[in-house]
Amino acid sequence: MKTRIKELRARHNLTQEDLARKAGVRRETIVFLEQGKYVPSLQLAWDVAKALKSKIEDLFDLDD
Amino acid sequence: MKNDKLRFYFMIILLGLIIGTGVLYLAEVIRGEALRFGNGTPLILLLIIVIFMIFFIKHRSRDINADLPMEDERSKKVMTQAAAMGFYVTMYWLLAISFFESFFARMFGVVKLDAGQVVGGGIAGMSIIFIIAWFYYQSKGRLL
Repeated sequence: MKTRIKELRARHNLTQEDLARKAGVRRETIVFLEQGKYVPSLQLAWDVAKALKSKIEDLFDLDD
Repeated sequence: MKNDKLRFYFMIILLGLIIGTGVLYLAEVIRGEALRFGNGTPLILLLIIVIFMIFFIKHRSRDINADLPMEDERSKKVMTQAAAMGFYVTMYWLLAISFFESFFARMFGVVKLDAGQVVGGGIAGMSIIFIIAWFYYQSKGRLL
């Protein structure tokens, strides 16, 4: 899975901790999401997209 | 978040109780007889569990201090999968204990294991298996 979370996070000047706080998850989860190692639930994908003022389809690419 | 902090402090208290139990047990063993493999094994297992708990608490304390949740969907998945794996493998561990009972009895210097030793060994094994499974799923990216 590919993600643009890190890129958009940097654009919004957010640390991983800031993003984790906005999305209501642990910082470790953001780390795994950025590495594309964890496939989030729809709820989490929505929360992260909302925190980054983006759309889910712009953030995540599930095509392997 | 307030619940998370309460749970975090509860874990610290629990850790303290486990360490206290270990110290009391060690004092009893030293007072009663010399420390050997049979009566020292519970202490080794306790030490492994204590080290894991310290690691776990340290891990979580960073989140608590940063006002982040102690648990989220990923950590719950890790816990669930580790518990499931622990349960599954423990079935075989319990079978191994009953099958190799005489071997374990010789190891502990007795003729036959009593019920307490069997149950204790089963629970201790389950804890160790869970700890190993937790580390495995924690580092693994893809979860079910």
